[in-house]
Amino acid sequence: MAGDPKTRFLVVDDFSTMRRIVRNLLKELGFTNVDEAEDGAIALQKLQGGGFEFVVTDWNMPNMDGLTLLQTIRATPTLKHLPVLMITAEAKKENIIAAAQAGASGYIVKPFTAGTLSEKLNKIFEKLGQA
Amino acid sequence: MSATNDSSELEALFDSIASDYQVVPAPAPVVPPVVVDTDGDSDGLQALFDSVAAETAAQTVAAGGAEIAAAGDEWPKQEAVFNKIGHMARVLHDTLGQLGYDKLIEKAVSSLPDAKDRLAYVANLTEQAACRVLNATDIANPLVEDMSSRSKALGSDWDKAFANQLSTEQFRQLAVDTRVFLNQQLPEKTQATHAQLTEIMMAQDFQDLTGQVIKKIVVLAQELESSLMSLLLEVVPETKRTEELNSLMNGPVVNAEGRADVVVNQEQVDDLLDSLGF
Repeated sequence: MAGDPKTRFLVVDDFSTMRRIVRNLLKELGFTNVDEAEDGAIALQKLQGGGFEFVVTDWNMPNMDGLTLLQTIRATPTLKHLPVLMITAEAKKENIIAAAQAGASGYIVKPFTAGTLSEKLNKIFEKLGQA
Repeated sequence: MSATNDSSELEALFDSIASDYQVVPAPAPVVPPVVVDTDGDSDGLQALFDSVAAETAAQTVAAGGAEIAAAGDEWPKQEAVFNKIGHMARVLHDTLGQLGYDKLIEKAVSSLPDAKDRLAYVANLTEQAACRVLNATDIANPLVEDMSSRSKALGSDWDKAFANQLSTEQFRQLAVDTRVFLNQQLPEKTQATHAQLTEIMMAQDFQDLTGQVIKKIVVLAQELESSLMSLLLEVVPETKRTEELNSLMNGPVVNAEGRADVVVNQEQVDDLLDSLGF
């Protein structure tokens, strides 16, 4: 099952260029309802405001990193159901394992392609559909 | 330039410290100036000095430092410590000088502020380039989409014409529309798209500039690394040398060759996650 085009995304990355690229890729995949946050702390504020259905986050960011954001989301009853896709340059195996153990819905290493993003999103939506 | 000044100043400082403490004959009642200007830190420092001093004083006494032992307990202990520290600093300074590290390190350190500026310049240029390219694609995308949808619409109208579904008036209008599209709209839009492609190409001019700057920084890093490495090898015990930094925020893997702890592509990420059952 492909995702609902109205799905509301939050793209979290400290580099505006990367946020813009992810936003453009999501738009090409048909998802136009996208908001941005420049670190985990701001992301958490926005998420707590409600209305988001999908989080795409970087790992290494100031104030609050992506792993902490993920852990906080999973520990917050109102947010823990949210799919969280990590897109990061961190490529150590222990990073990937730590993210998976913390409950990441997917893990993409930078640099990545539009195809990879589409594939991972579909996989996550598929799982959500089954749930 | 400042390098030579620094080392001669340091030399003078060391000499003055060394001679100062040799000259002071340790009269117990006189409070030494060093103690006078200490403030909140003095307690901790005092404790440290005392513990070190006790050890040193014991040695000194054993060696037959009769005058120091006779002069009282507080200051002579500290004097011995200061002497020892001064001596150590002197030895370190001399060793560095003899090995030539001081010049190497001074050179490397003095070029660090320059390297910071250069790296900031690289960050700035690459960010500008990324913005230019993203702006260009933002402009070009609607143009291409428009051309695509216009030609699809005309194409389906022509299909109708071939299926004899158009009136003469509609057919005439289609011919006019097609002519306008081919003669005006299409060239205008391709030209505008072409301009954006040129913009994307020109945005790559940062590569030349950042390449030059980065090469300089690589040379600097190599110098800094080799001088610090040789210094470390002199100082760090063998057992400590293999300790690895264990962090989860390392940024991109710059060189994955010979490393088993990193993944190099998305497939490996997926395989790892699969193998773990995620």
